[in-house]
Amino acid sequence: MAATEKTAEAVREVEKYKYGFVTEIESDRAPKGLSEDIVRFISDKKNEPSWLLDWRLKAYRRWEMDRDPEPTWAKLSYPKIDFQDAYYYAAPKLGAGPKSLDEVDPKLLETYKKLGIPLKEQQVLAGVAVDAVFDSVSVATTYKTKLRELGVIFCSISEAVREHPDLVRKYLGSVVPIGDNVYATLNCAVFTDGSFVYVPKGLRCPMELSTYFRINEKKTGQFERTLIIADEGAYVSYLEGCTAPQRDENQLHAAVVELVALDDAEIKYSTVQNWYPGDETGKGGIYNFVTKRGACRGRNSKIMWTQVETGSAITWKYPSCILQGDNSVGEFYSVAITNNAQQADTGTKMIHIGRNTRSKIISKGISAGRSSNTYRGLVRIQGKADRARNYTQCDSLLIGSTSAAHTVPYIESQNSTAMTEHEATTSKISEDQLFYCLARGMTEEEAVSLIVNGFCKEVLQTLPMEFAVEAQKLVGISLEGSVG
Amino acid sequence: MASVLSSSRSTAHPFGERYAGRMGPLPGASQPWVDGLRQAGRAALTSSGLPGPKVEAWRYTSLAELAKVAFIPAATADDVEVASVPSRVPRLDGFPRLVLVNGVLRRDLSDVAANAFAVPLRDALNGGDPAVRAVLGKIAPVSGSPISALNTSFLSEGLVVSAQSGAPVRLQIVTIGAAGAEPAAFHPRIVLTASDGADVTVAVHHVGLPGQSYLSNPVTEISIGRGATVRNFVDLAEDGDAFHLGLTAVNLAANGSYEDFRLALGGGLIRQDVTAIFSGDGGRVTLNGAYALAKTEHHELATTFFHDVPNCNSEQIVRGVAAGRSRAVFQGRIRVAPNAQKTDARQNHKALFLDAGPKIDCKPELEIFADDVQCAHGAATGEIDHDQLFYLLSRGIDPDTARALLVAGFLVDVVSRLSIDVVREAFAGAVSAWLKTRVVSGGVP
Repeated sequence: MAATEKTAEAVREVEKYKYGFVTEIESDRAPKGLSEDIVRFISDKKNEPSWLLDWRLKAYRRWEMDRDPEPTWAKLSYPKIDFQDAYYYAAPKLGAGPKSLDEVDPKLLETYKKLGIPLKEQQVLAGVAVDAVFDSVSVATTYKTKLRELGVIFCSISEAVREHPDLVRKYLGSVVPIGDNVYATLNCAVFTDGSFVYVPKGLRCPMELSTYFRINEKKTGQFERTLIIADEGAYVSYLEGCTAPQRDENQLHAAVVELVALDDAEIKYSTVQNWYPGDETGKGGIYNFVTKRGACRGRNSKIMWTQVETGSAITWKYPSCILQGDNSVGEFYSVAITNNAQQADTGTKMIHIGRNTRSKIISKGISAGRSSNTYRGLVRIQGKADRARNYTQCDSLLIGSTSAAHTVPYIESQNSTAMTEHEATTSKISEDQLFYCLARGMTEEEAVSLIVNGFCKEVLQTLPMEFAVEAQKLVGISLEGSVG
Repeated sequence: MASVLSSSRSTAHPFGERYAGRMGPLPGASQPWVDGLRQAGRAALTSSGLPGPKVEAWRYTSLAELAKVAFIPAATADDVEVASVPSRVPRLDGFPRLVLVNGVLRRDLSDVAANAFAVPLRDALNGGDPAVRAVLGKIAPVSGSPISALNTSFLSEGLVVSAQSGAPVRLQIVTIGAAGAEPAAFHPRIVLTASDGADVTVAVHHVGLPGQSYLSNPVTEISIGRGATVRNFVDLAEDGDAFHLGLTAVNLAANGSYEDFRLALGGGLIRQDVTAIFSGDGGRVTLNGAYALAKTEHHELATTFFHDVPNCNSEQIVRGVAAGRSRAVFQGRIRVAPNAQKTDARQNHKALFLDAGPKIDCKPELEIFADDVQCAHGAATGEIDHDQLFYLLSRGIDPDTARALLVAGFLVDVVSRLSIDVVREAFAGAVSAWLKTRVVSGGVP
């Protein structure tokens, strides 16, 4: 870019910031780039207590010292991210928090509508409590009262910091430590919002908890922070779904999700991810560097991850389970679909620490177009994990001769009574099956969608109803243009 | 290089200037290309050193212990006396024997019938043999392989075996590691060329004199011509204090066939790499292996198959057992290049714990860039099946015998796939001998 153009753009950026308008919704945005001042600014904006600011600063200083370089082991190629060329805080401008949907900016509601998420309808019909995140700040939290009566805390993490500081302080960063990886470190320093869930002892949360994340602000990195705690004997199912409007510039998304399951507790975490994947040539699209990890701290606890990954230009994501408690169970079900120029490097880690711990991994990768799809997984059985069991199955399906599918499992066992099993296959979509469908009058795209849905059935079945329907449609849509 | 500081990416090692200085004059002085190869090896060794734990391909094998040993070149050890082949090495009927002591061909210990097929590498380098020049360093380049870099740095001893089509060639190659008072290292290079249509079978035994500290660093380059067949059966039974860093690199022309069997029953620290490159349609590779580890032995088998062209098959089956506080590692990588359609690549690794102490790591990896392929891998670890054990015990078989039977069955299953009878029997015999000492009388559960 010529120097004059650069200057012109800089001026435009400054002007934008000056008037505070980027989209039609008024927003409150911190200057571009990352510095200690920005971290303080974010913390200040959110009226955070000093312990949290100190925690953020500790992360920032670690990040600044470049202690954890960007990982290079993933089979991903993308231009080096300029972390200083992004905004780290953007909040829809609001007065006092809205008490009901009527108080929410109607333009925001309009955006949701365009994205096909009828918030009101969901609230009324589906009985789902929606904690919607627009850019970085929660603007609407519904069904709160009902949940609160049962003792469930479901709110934005900023609110939890104010209302339940002891819980947040006890568990924040306890599963994904500050220095876990460079993206997590960044998230610790600048996370703006996210969800907080606490399910009290012995309670089976009666409804699926759901949050929709959106990226709307241009060049705004999204740094959600989610913390879910299931106390002894509790059960919660949490749904996370993402859609994002089309963008020309790469957007960085570095979320951190921490789950804690105590004795006999169970957490089911389901994700449908369809961030903007970039256009057919790979231009634009979201960079999705996510750290998701659950700790089965208690005896007989269980954490189950289900993900349907269809979006993003770059996906770097390994939802993991640390099986500390005896008899704890970790499960990972994944469908990752890449098309056009998308790249995904995703999988899981199952760390068996406690006795009789069990884990199951079912991963289905589908790559079409010129995309690259990698399963990367670690199963580690530590010395004291007597009678631990792992079963892993990862299958890859290739559509088109220019796509790539990779499988990189690591299996490490240090306990003689433990048993691990791993199976992986890679093959192309069956021509017999295609022919059969075509002969019955289906279009090629319908046929591919049907076959791929069948290939993924094992995983899609584990999704809650609402998501399963959406996911099946997504599988078809994601592969549009991959055949013929 | 002694001056290279230890870091997570490289390990300081004793093969620097001091070591090179002790080597004395190396062969091929009149051949600039020979020295060029050595310099390339040394440059690779200097720039990246021996790999440290942060190097992905070496994450499971640490060279820290090896790096602490002040090796001297075995050629300069003057107190070495090897008068005969250790009795551990069986005579193979129909396989005339070649013996290398510290990489140097010992015609006096070798069979007359075998001597005709083999030229010492030293002679080939001095004479500038163009056939050797065409292969050397081409199939096992120094880049990306620290084992090849180390070997190539000190290229001097080894063997050249050439086979033409016609009568099948069979050879037994015995390499004996022998250090004197000081720990010694040797870097033999074997160049095996099978011309179009040739049929070659080699059985290689790596053994050492007991109680000695040595590093065996063999690199074998195998060039397989059109329609040629090479069988390479490797019996790795180094001494308990020995280090072994070996690489076998194979290149297959169209319709070439390669069968490899890896038997590993001993050694202090072993890493053996096998790479195969398919460079013509219709190639076929079978790599099977069995390992049995005890005490604090460390064994890693790392295979990399490059399916660069269409219509090639590869199959790998590896079985292992680990006792004591040993450590077993299997890394298998299959890469299918764009357009390498109709590839069929399969891989399977299973390992049994015989004790509570061992650690078993496995990383099977598929990298697929073509769609019309069939690729699969499987991996499993566990202990002896309690149901099977119970079945045998309930029939009055004592626990030791029952366990030995089950372990033997597990290992012999893969050994039985070996296609040449005399070698299969010898390898099966070595497995039973191991089991007798470790599983039955050793009281391994």
